[in-house]
Amino acid sequence: MSGHEFHPLVKQLLDGDITLADLPPELRGEGEAALRLLAAVDRTDISMPAVTWRVMTTLERRRRRFLPWLLAPALAIAAALVILLRPTPPAPTAALVTVRFVLVAPDAKQVSLAGTFNQWDAQVTPLVRTGATGVWTATLTLPAGQHQYAFVVDGVRWVPDPGAPAVDDGFGRRNSVLTL
Amino acid sequence: MIALLALPLTLLSLQQQAGASIAQRLAGRVSPELASLVVELGTAASARGLPIDPLIEKAIEGSAKGVPAERVATAVRLVAMQLDTAAAALREGGAVPDTLEIAAGGFAITAGLSGSDITALARTGAKAPALTVGLRVAGTLAALGVPPAEDIGLVSVTLRSGEPSADLLLLPAHVQSEVAKGVTPAQAAAGLARAAAAQARHGPPPGRGQGHPHPPAPPHP
Amino acid sequence: MRSGPQAADGEIVRAVLAGDRERYARLVERYRDRYARYAARMLGSADAAEDALQDAFVRAFDQLAQCKDPDNFIGWFFLILRNRCFAERRRNRTSASLDAANDVAAEDRTDGGAESAERRRALQLALMELTPDQREVFVLKHVEGLSYNEIAERLSTSVPSLKMRMHRAYDKLREQLRDHT
Repeated sequence: MSGHEFHPLVKQLLDGDITLADLPPELRGEGEAALRLLAAVDRTDISMPAVTWRVMTTLERRRRRFLPWLLAPALAIAAALVILLRPTPPAPTAALVTVRFVLVAPDAKQVSLAGTFNQWDAQVTPLVRTGATGVWTATLTLPAGQHQYAFVVDGVRWVPDPGAPAVDDGFGRRNSVLTL
Repeated sequence: MIALLALPLTLLSLQQQAGASIAQRLAGRVSPELASLVVELGTAASARGLPIDPLIEKAIEGSAKGVPAERVATAVRLVAMQLDTAAAALREGGAVPDTLEIAAGGFAITAGLSGSDITALARTGAKAPALTVGLRVAGTLAALGVPPAEDIGLVSVTLRSGEPSADLLLLPAHVQSEVAKGVTPAQAAAGLARAAAAQARHGPPPGRGQGHPHPPAPPHP
Repeated sequence: MRSGPQAADGEIVRAVLAGDRERYARLVERYRDRYARYAARMLGSADAAEDALQDAFVRAFDQLAQCKDPDNFIGWFFLILRNRCFAERRRNRTSASLDAANDVAAEDRTDGGAESAERRRALQLALMELTPDQREVFVLKHVEGLSYNEIAERLSTSVPSLKMRMHRAYDKLREQLRDHT
């Protein structure tokens, strides 16, 4: 058939109700053309990882009432084009600073230090108890920069350093800040 | 059209590199599901020019603290948002920030400062590494209880005077020792700003360079 | 994300309604890519699809208490996304076509080379010329691979009326693509 419409049988072919072999010979050409049309359908999967982040921060934003201009979705897309122009920071300085950490905890059986400088591992940096007065200390050599940490008492209680600046850790507790 | 076709492929290889190194740092420290989320977030953040260390550190921290994975995921997303805020604020102030500056800005926001505060610091015209240190110190002062106005005032005047970073880093300790004498953090910072503006200088505390004694904790009641 | 079998959708919905907002991210993660392709084919642009998905997930969160069957969150969410896609205002024809063309070209990675990329681009452009109803039935059947029965159930309509829409879509596509070649 001429004209702009597919033959009804070809439409059934497109629907998957019949196969090419079911078509009469004079319709095979039209049938093949129709199947070529279907073959051009783009079925590539699309992944959109940014959606999760964007949704949750939108919900979070409405709770915290951040300034709206800071969260424009266009930012994420425009910034992707800037990747090749991103400046790289200068090589980190080699400066090391020796720092003494102190916690007064007379009732503790064990105190350790966990922070950004030791992957928050409460096992690897124990403090040493000095004398009977319950003063625990550790001395570390750390690179210059920004660090966060907390003491871990008896392996379970996370305690910020009472003498240090403190920030919200995002989990309902506080971390201590060390800026070297 | 050719440029558009070329760009995604370049992004792909950079993203693949970023993803693999993130996964490596998380291996064994966070659950596999959380790790794949952080790889996703980190790859996307890296593509936006943001530092990924803060994201990785937060994920490791939450897992080490035994926090449920959903909550850790929220905290990591919050860090990403804070980094975006900091980057935008720095650019708004005329800076072309590198990843260390953005990370420092993100920390300042964690400590309670706003995008405008960060923009104000960027407007001092200070460049890396001074601006990076300035942002870290501003965040630290906020964490000590210095209100934003006095905080940014003190750090700005110090940055503008071209002080070397070592002097910036002493500001929190100065504020702490003033507070120990009985003034509020706001008063301490304002006093220091006046002194800096008058070009008076405090000498370095004893022991700097040989060791940096951390202020001892006061006795528990 | 505890070890063991994953929580069912219903359990997560009930937890979120009870105040555990953060678990909503689990649902977003579970389904955002499943419908990313549908939204992109419906709207002709990956960017528009991302916006639509974000809006739909936020709206679903807001209306979560009205989800009558929490164990079928996905069916309920699909309708919200669908409404959002249908509500998308058509930008002027030129810019919509360019977006569709750029997206398809950018997504073309390995198969077929320039000629099949060109055909995919042409078909996506032609799809944008259909009515949203016609485009939707075509996308659900030929991109998402659903049967007419499955589509009918999802859209609460009948198979014969779907076929009528689809057959008109076939004819329009044929007309569009003849003009292009």
